[in-house]
Amino acid sequence: MQKPPIAVVALGVFAALSALLPLTYLLIRLAAGFDRALVELLRPRTLELLSNTLLLTVSVTLTALIIGFTQAWLTTRSNLVWTPLFAVLGTLPLAIPSYVLALSYTSLFPWFNGFFAAWITLSLATAPYVFLAVSAALIRSNANQEEVARSLGLSSFQVLLRVTWPQVRPAAMGSGLLVALYTLSEFGAVSILRFDTFTRAIYNAYRGSFDRTAAAALAVVLVLLTLIVLYFEKRYRNSYTKIEKQSRQLRINLGTWRAPSALLLLLIALGSSVLPISALIGWSVVAKSWDLLPILQALGASLGISITAGLVIGVFAVAVALWNVRFSSRLSSGVEVTIWSSHALPALVVALSLVFFGANLTPGIYQTIWLLIFAYLILFLPNALSVVTTPIAQVSTSQEQVARSLGLGKLAAIFKLVLPMSKTGIWAGIALASLAVIKELPATLLLRPTGMDTLATELWAATETLSYSQAAPYALLLIIIAGVPALVLNAQARNLISEVNV
Amino acid sequence: MKISKLAALTLGALIALSGCATQPQLAEQDSIVVYAGRDEELVQPLVDQFEQETGISVEVRYAGSAELAAQLLEEGANSPADVFFAQDAGALGAISKAGLFTKLPVSIYDLVPSAYSAADGMWVGVSGRVRVLNYNPATVTDLPASVFELAEPQWKGRVGIAPTNASFQAFVTAMRVIEGEEKTLAWLEGMKQNAVVFEKNGAILEAVEAGQVDVGLINHYYWYALAQEQGVSNMKSKITQFESNDVGNLINAAGVGILKDSTAAQKFVEFLLSSTGQSYFAEQTREYPLTPGVPAADDLTPLSQIPAPKVDLSDLDSLEQTLELIRQAGLI
Repeated sequence: MQKPPIAVVALGVFAALSALLPLTYLLIRLAAGFDRALVELLRPRTLELLSNTLLLTVSVTLTALIIGFTQAWLTTRSNLVWTPLFAVLGTLPLAIPSYVLALSYTSLFPWFNGFFAAWITLSLATAPYVFLAVSAALIRSNANQEEVARSLGLSSFQVLLRVTWPQVRPAAMGSGLLVALYTLSEFGAVSILRFDTFTRAIYNAYRGSFDRTAAAALAVVLVLLTLIVLYFEKRYRNSYTKIEKQSRQLRINLGTWRAPSALLLLLIALGSSVLPISALIGWSVVAKSWDLLPILQALGASLGISITAGLVIGVFAVAVALWNVRFSSRLSSGVEVTIWSSHALPALVVALSLVFFGANLTPGIYQTIWLLIFAYLILFLPNALSVVTTPIAQVSTSQEQVARSLGLGKLAAIFKLVLPMSKTGIWAGIALASLAVIKELPATLLLRPTGMDTLATELWAATETLSYSQAAPYALLLIIIAGVPALVLNAQARNLISEVNV
Repeated sequence: MKISKLAALTLGALIALSGCATQPQLAEQDSIVVYAGRDEELVQPLVDQFEQETGISVEVRYAGSAELAAQLLEEGANSPADVFFAQDAGALGAISKAGLFTKLPVSIYDLVPSAYSAADGMWVGVSGRVRVLNYNPATVTDLPASVFELAEPQWKGRVGIAPTNASFQAFVTAMRVIEGEEKTLAWLEGMKQNAVVFEKNGAILEAVEAGQVDVGLINHYYWYALAQEQGVSNMKSKITQFESNDVGNLINAAGVGILKDSTAAQKFVEFLLSSTGQSYFAEQTREYPLTPGVPAADDLTPLSQIPAPKVDLSDLDSLEQTLELIRQAGLI
């Protein structure tokens, strides 16, 4: 087994240790009041929260997988009309924070709440993760096998299940993992839609009773749930298929299903982006007036921090992915699991852990941009990782071996061969992380340098007083700005689609 | 990976991290840091005015009162904050209980009637808010005399409450203190049957306005703020009080406490309690000024005429038991 370059190991270990900080914090809190924590966990309510949380997580993950896979298959493999439009619409919800989505629904339909509402909202909000991952995998995968299978008399559905699905399974499972952990840690939408999950209970423990022990006890359950999800994802992921050669693909004729398919995608887009954006535009129109200067300042701050953090996260993601797929070892998979393990923690918990360590151990960087970026690294490295891993894994090892045999060093081979070949995937990972950063609220509020306002914090300040009209311009601007990386992600997918278009 | 190995690695990282720390800058004589759990749009103009008048520069961190309280608790003695200006007594009580406040000088504490401050002198009320019954006059003709009536069967599905909201929880705490645990639990269980649950006061008001629920329990100023935004004549809902001494008429306060004592911090608190500060809140938020001599906004019932229950705000720090009851009733 080859040894990974030192830099890769250093970055990977640093990332894993960072992810351990929130867990360490939770243990410290638990140790401070173990009996109290036990009492908190042993109430019947915990069981109720557990079943609510599991129900929501499983339903959202499955639904997002179905929606995202359908969108991806139709836009890349079929003769659907307006594929570029549908590809954009499939990505756009990524730009809309889920709390904005929920707010817009409840403002249009006041009766919209409870499990059903949370399920629909979060499924629509997270389907783009699956859409992006699966469409990229579909484009890169080999369609010849499907044609062979079809010529051997398998029905379309059998082909889908037995040939197509296995090819995209690692990508789909990776994005499904992201969706599941997102659902576990989501607070804004579930609280607006009034569905009780662990995360909502954790927030309430902090907010209502300032009870840090109870919050920690509940958060530890979330970490355990995450580990279970990780176990299943790893077990069912299968290995990555190496792509030796890109092949031309034929698009399948949908026949009579062409119009209904388009209608279905339109309906999904209506719910996931058209409706909420129109609601926001409606509120903006009623807005009395808004100052341009603070909006521009917030815009600048949002752009600056999200691009910087996105790049930092990108570097770490590439290192961890390289380590895992090129120099895989027990240590490297330990590092990966550790990085993912804190991903279901509510951002508030991660932020408070950094408040605790930052104020008491590193006051020099506390409430500076450095600790904020560090928080984003802990929070969103998995997002980037999920996108970056597949393309790096798909770069053929034989080419790398040839390059090595010609005397190229380990690092040189990575820089000259692996990274350029997986370039688009890496940019996609950076874009996805930047998107998450732009929308992030709780950690930004607690850790930002005093006086730094971003679009997300301004949006929060406006909704705090619940004047939708004041909040709407920020929400719209946030969507437009977040739309840029979303479109970057999408443009890549579309490029690939047109490449394979016959 | 072995646990011990993980622990060792973590410890190493912590040491490495703490090694990066530089010495914190010594706070300049003329500057303070304020953690404000209140709206920036509201507070900042007042802060600007304070800076201009005194030459003291003020750095304000804005976030929710509860989040800032959690942040202060985690920061402990190393907090950069000098002053905590919070939306409600609960957040102030939590900081006070953790021993993070320094005692206010008597000259400041005496500016406000003691009913609106902590009995131990750790924090002082800045502005008052009154719990009211928000109702839709089209569907509610027979107003309930007491908040307890809302637990009766005829109100099923017609009442809006926000059980996770700090103001609601403070009101339930007052109910416990005045009426006892048993009666409070019975009321909460009635609410579990009757109430539609919302996240915030503003959402309740909107639901009453939209005719989704017939009545709601909110703070008075939400109604006045919406009335200002869309015009009083466009308001579909009204507000009223319950009968005299009913706990549903509770008066609560936003307040301020000092974490690191300095003349600058004291001057800031004094400014909030000056007639400038007090009339600012009265005009901007329609809250009640708390220092004697500053009048409330014209359209408000004077604070002295609110039929409020007799309760000491510093008795409302038993939030833990309140949450226990709200949970037991299945509302959160």
